[in-house]
Amino acid sequence: MENAPAIRNEGGRGSRVRLAWVALALLVIYPFFPFLDLAVELVTGESLRLDRQIVSIAIFAVLALALNLQVGYAGLLQLGIAAFFAIGAYTTGILTVAKYPFQLELWGALAAAPFVAGFAGLALGAPTLRLRGDYLAIVTLGFAEVVRVLLINLEGITDGPRGLNPIPEPWLPAWLRSAVDVSADAQRVRFLAVYFLAVGSVVALYITFRTLERSKLGRSFVALREDELASACMGVNPTRTKLIAFAAGAAIAGYAGALYACNLTTTAEPNTYDFNYSVMVLCCIIIGGLGSVRGAILGAAVLLGFDNVLSPLVTKLLQRATTSDSSNVLYSFSNWRWLIFGTALVLIMRFRPKGLWPSERVAADLREDES
Amino acid sequence: MALLELENVSASYGSIEALCNIDLHVEAGEIVTLIGANGAGKTTTLMTTSGILRAKSGRIRFDGKDLIGVPAHEVVGLGLAHSPEGRRIFSRMTVLENLELGAFGRSDKEGIQKDINRVFELFPILGERRHQAGGTLSGGEQQMLALGRAMASRPKLLLLDEPSLGLAPLFVHRIFEVIRELNREGVTVLLVEQNARMALKLAHRGYVLETGRITLTDTGENLLKNERVQSAYLGE
Repeated sequence: MENAPAIRNEGGRGSRVRLAWVALALLVIYPFFPFLDLAVELVTGESLRLDRQIVSIAIFAVLALALNLQVGYAGLLQLGIAAFFAIGAYTTGILTVAKYPFQLELWGALAAAPFVAGFAGLALGAPTLRLRGDYLAIVTLGFAEVVRVLLINLEGITDGPRGLNPIPEPWLPAWLRSAVDVSADAQRVRFLAVYFLAVGSVVALYITFRTLERSKLGRSFVALREDELASACMGVNPTRTKLIAFAAGAAIAGYAGALYACNLTTTAEPNTYDFNYSVMVLCCIIIGGLGSVRGAILGAAVLLGFDNVLSPLVTKLLQRATTSDSSNVLYSFSNWRWLIFGTALVLIMRFRPKGLWPSERVAADLREDES
Repeated sequence: MALLELENVSASYGSIEALCNIDLHVEAGEIVTLIGANGAGKTTTLMTTSGILRAKSGRIRFDGKDLIGVPAHEVVGLGLAHSPEGRRIFSRMTVLENLELGAFGRSDKEGIQKDINRVFELFPILGERRHQAGGTLSGGEQQMLALGRAMASRPKLLLLDEPSLGLAPLFVHRIFEVIRELNREGVTVLLVEQNARMALKLAHRGYVLETGRITLTDTGENLLKNERVQSAYLGE
């Protein structure tokens, strides 16, 4: 009986916690000492600028965690996460740029964006969450397209394809500025602020979600996903619980959008927030493991790491090796990305259907399948 | 006044009528059983009572409150626990987590702990496997867990739907023993069973359902002796 497969972590926990601390410490010192960049430059002669990519990965991880709350925890198949991401970005734009009278400090916009996106989530979720899985997917997909087209066509408000910009830099206390600003320029200070904001957000969300998993609300998400009727018999209010997950996920996606706009200093053009973007986020939580917090972060790192770090690097190296015909599209590694994404997804579905790094709960399920 | 009272209750799935003017009552402290063939409306009666299915017409009163229109998740809080057909335990959650979910609406930590310990006392195997995922339990153990989970809300009335379905005789006996024991402690039980003989032996009173109508009601003992019941449900 004692040998029966148990869900509780058996050993290895201590080392995993230590690993997390080491990773966090590395992330904190990285912008000051980019050892990987130096190493890559030494070997290949190409510069990497990995610290910039870490910001993108962290922002994408926040978005992935938002979708994981909706799809992974609550089982709501949402195909339009990009809409809430866009709403967050444009809220930040409208509240900060010179075109509008608000001209809020960036911190204010960062706080407001999740509210606006969360409210949009409530407004969309309240009438539609009673729909069964596939129908909800269609509604959210349609909603995302409507938002994108609105952003393109409401030129008076959104500046259409130009996007709202420039988004101002965040206010920092003078002592902090002078502490960092020994030799660096203002650009660098801004970058560091965004860097630590993005990485800090991922860490904060990680802790929040891990706590949520052990809470009553977290349990009711899992119960609801497993068996709606039985959960209702236990006293879980299905409609309300789903709505909480959907609105909270939308709010976090909006926050990610605000970070994104802040990082780019522009809301970017509306076509950034298209269906492909939603699918990318979905891919990243499927690759990482649905319902797994660490999986979502890993998925973001793998996908964006491939897209923004590995693929440009390989492309450059390829082009250098084949100087004869650098205009040939086949020599550009980036052009192969969808093929490689697709293949990777198929392989993962075939060989590791629970994802690269599933949650303990799902992992336990997996062991049981194997036995 | 009866603890549970159904008066003229009708219910349907779309255009298919499943219950037609059902009248039944359960007094506090009783074990009452519903017997009948497949599709007679036994499960529907329980589902309508606990609010999973909406009654088309009629009145349902529980503990002095009107239950019509009260959604299922609120009914639990009133002291009516429904253990649905087919066990439906949460297979990815541990045994303990399943039981804790049973006490979802309660906030008295000590009371919950006491009730969960009581479940482990009644079904020691669940205590041994408390950290094991529910899906890895055997069918009998899962049924015990489903019963324990319903008990964890500390209900006044327990609706049990086919607790013996598909179980080995040993498990069936244990489940029925526990139902009797719970009843002695003051829990009222409305039991739906295929195994009519065991159910009628256990119950104080019984109702016979045929195609959505109640056709017969009497004490358990008398129903066991009833010729029609014997030939239709007891196979004699």
